[in-house]
Amino acid sequence: MEAEVAKFRKEAQVSLLTMLILGLITLILAPLTGHYRGFYLCLSLGLIIVIASGVYLPIVRVKKVQNVKELAVPTMQSLWVSTSMGVGYVVTSLATYFKIVLPIAAVLFIIGWVMLLLGLYKLISISKRVGVPLAV
Amino acid sequence: MASEKEVKDVYGDYSTLTVPPAELKSTLNLFMVYMGVLAVIAAIFAGSGLATMYDVGTMLTVAFVGNVVLGVFGALTAYPGGVTRANTYMLLRYPLGRVGAMIGGLIIAGISCGLLWFAVETWLFGLTTSLIFPDYWIMSIAAASIWGGLLMMTTAYIGYKGIGVLSYVTVPFWYVLCVIGLFSALDHTGISFTAMWALGPEKKAPFGVGITYVVGLYAAGCVITSDVSRYGVKRWSGSLAWAIHVILFMTILLFIGGVMTLATGSPNVIVAMASIGLGAGALLLAILGQWTTNDNNLWSGSLSFVNVFPVFKRRTWVLILGVIGTIIAGVWAGLYGMSLDPFITFGVLLGCFVPPVGGVLVADFYIFRRYVLGIRDPAQRYKFGPGTKYGVINVPGLIGLIVGGIVGWLTTLPQYSYGIPALNAIFVSAILYLLLIVPMHKAGVKYEVGTWMERETGF
Repeated sequence: MEAEVAKFRKEAQVSLLTMLILGLITLILAPLTGHYRGFYLCLSLGLIIVIASGVYLPIVRVKKVQNVKELAVPTMQSLWVSTSMGVGYVVTSLATYFKIVLPIAAVLFIIGWVMLLLGLYKLISISKRVGVPLAV
Repeated sequence: MASEKEVKDVYGDYSTLTVPPAELKSTLNLFMVYMGVLAVIAAIFAGSGLATMYDVGTMLTVAFVGNVVLGVFGALTAYPGGVTRANTYMLLRYPLGRVGAMIGGLIIAGISCGLLWFAVETWLFGLTTSLIFPDYWIMSIAAASIWGGLLMMTTAYIGYKGIGVLSYVTVPFWYVLCVIGLFSALDHTGISFTAMWALGPEKKAPFGVGITYVVGLYAAGCVITSDVSRYGVKRWSGSLAWAIHVILFMTILLFIGGVMTLATGSPNVIVAMASIGLGAGALLLAILGQWTTNDNNLWSGSLSFVNVFPVFKRRTWVLILGVIGTIIAGVWAGLYGMSLDPFITFGVLLGCFVPPVGGVLVADFYIFRRYVLGIRDPAQRYKFGPGTKYGVINVPGLIGLIVGGIVGWLTTLPQYSYGIPALNAIFVSAILYLLLIVPMHKAGVKYEVGTWMERETGF
């Protein structure tokens, strides 16, 4: 059981860390969007991702658990938020209102898709493997 | 009497059974599902209604006070579901009797949510998408109503799990998008955050009118909270989730809708968002918003229909109700351009009878059974399972429901306008119920007609 928990803990950390890094990249891109509207968009979506991943990452890292399910729940809660914000980037990055310069908008659009697909894949895979409902 | 664990869930989603412990969900799960129901463009439009009455500051206060009323009432009706693990239509077997519960269930969810409002919301979805993208046939009212209706049917068909998953992926982003929409509207019109507070109509409506408006928006939703709260891992999970989501987030949504309307001058804020260059975002706001709400309407409707006509399983009822609603929205209104007013009028009339159902339930669960029958433990107040006997009709309950509904309806008319119609209906039904049932019980007069024994299937 301990080995299983350790293995899952590592996998969960990698997932959350990936989301955290992607969120940080969007924050770094914020000043490069070319317009204050794009800047604030990246700031709001990016900060939510960074907070949701940043808060849960230490929890997943140090939480003492009896079984994998107890680790899966916080991991999935964090992944849901990041995945949902990924939808945010997919939808808004190319919207004319935000006036984001095309290369940056394209990067944000791609990051959004990566977060969405990665998040969904991880959520479904964890849910199936651990037996925790998707809507945790 | 067989135990609940041995009973097979014939109809799906525990339509006629209590939810087993293995299926219970976290408080967060319930919160997200309630938030999904609230995430609807109609909630933003409702904020537009408030904007015609008040300045921004007063609007916020009115929305908060109205939502506190809704939060408390909904928390009270959610608790019996959390305690007994039974849905609304099962709970009503006690205060209304078995057949009375069928009538009450059909009024509050079967016909209202499952048919009428599903059709109206689907049509509203078609209308909004056609306004955002007027040049594409796939976005026409008829086409969008049809594919929108089908989308909404999918998660309702899957059941609670499907509704939950959709809420998880939609809710966080949907609310962020609303906030983005608010600031975009202010930014686009050049109104600063400070100047925003000065926005408002020249003549303000009385405070009570706005509270009436807010309470009326979601009073019906309060009554069917147990459909979700019965899944709560704690007894109070549903009550807490309901109260927080209504008091905090519905207030925010009304506020956002109101400010966007005042800033842009357009009552259709989704179209306004699209016009300032938030096209895909506005469309997603409409699609996901309607989807997460209307699938719940259909799901609750199917639960209700199973409790009345158990000839079909819950999923079959989803398909039947969904197809009828989609045809009304897409063909009747969308293709032939016929008015949905008759459906809306009928829905509003039925809606007058929804709050008194909650009034009778609250009076029975919290007062009659606790203080008159002396059942202290809430878990013992309502019992379910094969072999359980119910009255066919609970006479005081049915009288309370009918009279409360009529009073609620009368007070919506200008000549009899008094107080908050939904609250009038709740109080009249609750008080009348107690005034009838308590003396009858004390005098030994039978207040239930007939006996209905629950079958193995829970029907």
